[in-house]
Amino acid sequence: MIIDIKNIVCRFGEIVALDDISLSVDHGEVVVILGPSGSGKSTLLRCLNALEEIQSGEINVDGFLIDRNHRQIHQIRLEVGMVFQQFNLFPHLTVIENVNLAQRVVRKRSRTEAARVSTELLNKVELADKTEAFPGQLSGGQKQRVAIARALAMNPKIMLFDEVTSALDPEMIGEVLEVMKQLAAEGMTMLIVTHEIGFAREVADRVIFIDEGKIVEQAAPRQFFTNPTNQRTKDFLAHVL
Amino acid sequence: MTWLAEQFGILSKIFYYLIQVVHWTVLISVLAYLLALICGLVFGIARISRNRFIRSIAGAYINVLRGVPLLVLIFFFYFGLGKFVNLDRFVAGVLAVGVCYGAYMAEIFRSGIEAIDYGQHEAAMSLGMTRWQTLRHIILPQSFRIVVAPGANEFIACLKDSSLVSIIGLRELTRAGREYANQYFLDFHTWLMVGIIYLIMTLTLTRLVKRLEKRFAIHGYGVTRHDN
Ligand SMILES: Nc1ncnc2c1ncn2[C@@H]1O[C@H](COP(=O)(O)OP(=O)(O)OP(=O)(O)O)[C@@H](O)[C@H]1O
Ligand SMILES: [Mg+2]
Repeated sequence: MIIDIKNIVCRFGEIVALDDISLSVDHGEVVVILGPSGSGKSTLLRCLNALEEIQSGEINVDGFLIDRNHRQIHQIRLEVGMVFQQFNLFPHLTVIENVNLAQRVVRKRSRTEAARVSTELLNKVELADKTEAFPGQLSGGQKQRVAIARALAMNPKIMLFDEVTSALDPEMIGEVLEVMKQLAAEGMTMLIVTHEIGFAREVADRVIFIDEGKIVEQAAPRQFFTNPTNQRTKDFLAHVL
Repeated sequence: MTWLAEQFGILSKIFYYLIQVVHWTVLISVLAYLLALICGLVFGIARISRNRFIRSIAGAYINVLRGVPLLVLIFFFYFGLGKFVNLDRFVAGVLAVGVCYGAYMAEIFRSGIEAIDYGQHEAAMSLGMTRWQTLRHIILPQSFRIVVAPGANEFIACLKDSSLVSIIGLRELTRAGREYANQYFLDFHTWLMVGIIYLIMTLTLTRLVKRLEKRFAIHGYGVTRHDN
């Protein structure tokens, strides 16, 4: 078990975004999170990267802890990589500098070591010819692959993906999903929020359905998509399938 | 014809007289502006600190210094503080203009930092970067492009306002003009010339700022129109 979430609550003023959520994830497991808009999917991922504060409960990531007394935020962020819907590449840096930067300042790698890792990862996401380009010169799909390479460069044990294909033109979705499938096949632990049901069926080890800040149902994809038990899950699936 | 030649002679004489002190105006403005840059950066960042105490100190600095006339600040530094510490006119003048413009620069820097999309902070944090690392490597370089034009315009304003330090006897352009006018009773010619010299400097600087602006707006950091 690499992630252990126990009874976390995350509130924004009156709004309860996560309402007593517990979840454990095994090494190498791929978990797809589904749910209607505003149900708390993003918030759950963001809590795992300590981008949101939890009001109660605890999050344990590979032995590091966030709760009311422990805030091992930095260590947890090193374990966990995150990819955002809006890419959030650094526009003033070239592609390779985007991938290099945190390796240099956070991991304290040498220039050559960082460049070696970056080149390798950019090859992997098939952007070897774009290393010197600026983000503004890339397509959405290319940007998102850079963002994935940038996160991977920190050698995270877990990767979080928050609707990473939602801002993409349809013809570019495939290239990003392809990279994610490859990562899954290599045994990366992944939590993925997505609306790509076909992709979820194919790569997920487990599908989780969240509604109003609660986990309503979770099951293996075959079971989840063909034979959901909860009425709200059924309604949701009727809507998206 | 002779009248015109005479006028020209008077003006050029004044010009040569004034041009010998203009470096003081430049020096005061440059030093005050450097101080303003430092104060601006420090207080601009402090203004958005997570620490409430630091935030309110910066807020107080900005509001107080922007709310007091520069002339009063100059008097305060020279005569007021002069009661306790022996401040040279030059030092007092530069300090007064510098801290005053620091308050304006702080607001420019703050808005430049806040203009950067919050997603940039989040991306940096998710990579394990600290707030300082994020500011230094991600936010400030991008803010630079936004603040360069308004920031440089403050230098022009600072140059003009440096004329106020003439009041405490600092012999820069305006002061020298006053001396000359009083001595030769050539008020019209002298003040015309003083104005022209300031104008030459400010117009030159304005053109420079325009070029800076263009350079950083279009070619800056390779962000092209394909950006989405
Ligand atoms: N920073 C914030 N401040 C206030 N409310 C917030 C904030 N972030 C999220 N919320 C609220 O928390 C709830 C859960 O939001 P969240 O973004 O996690 O939903 P989501 O499942 O990711 O939705 P979507 O599919 O639209 O992305 C929503 O009601 C949202 O309005
Ligand atoms: Mg979301």
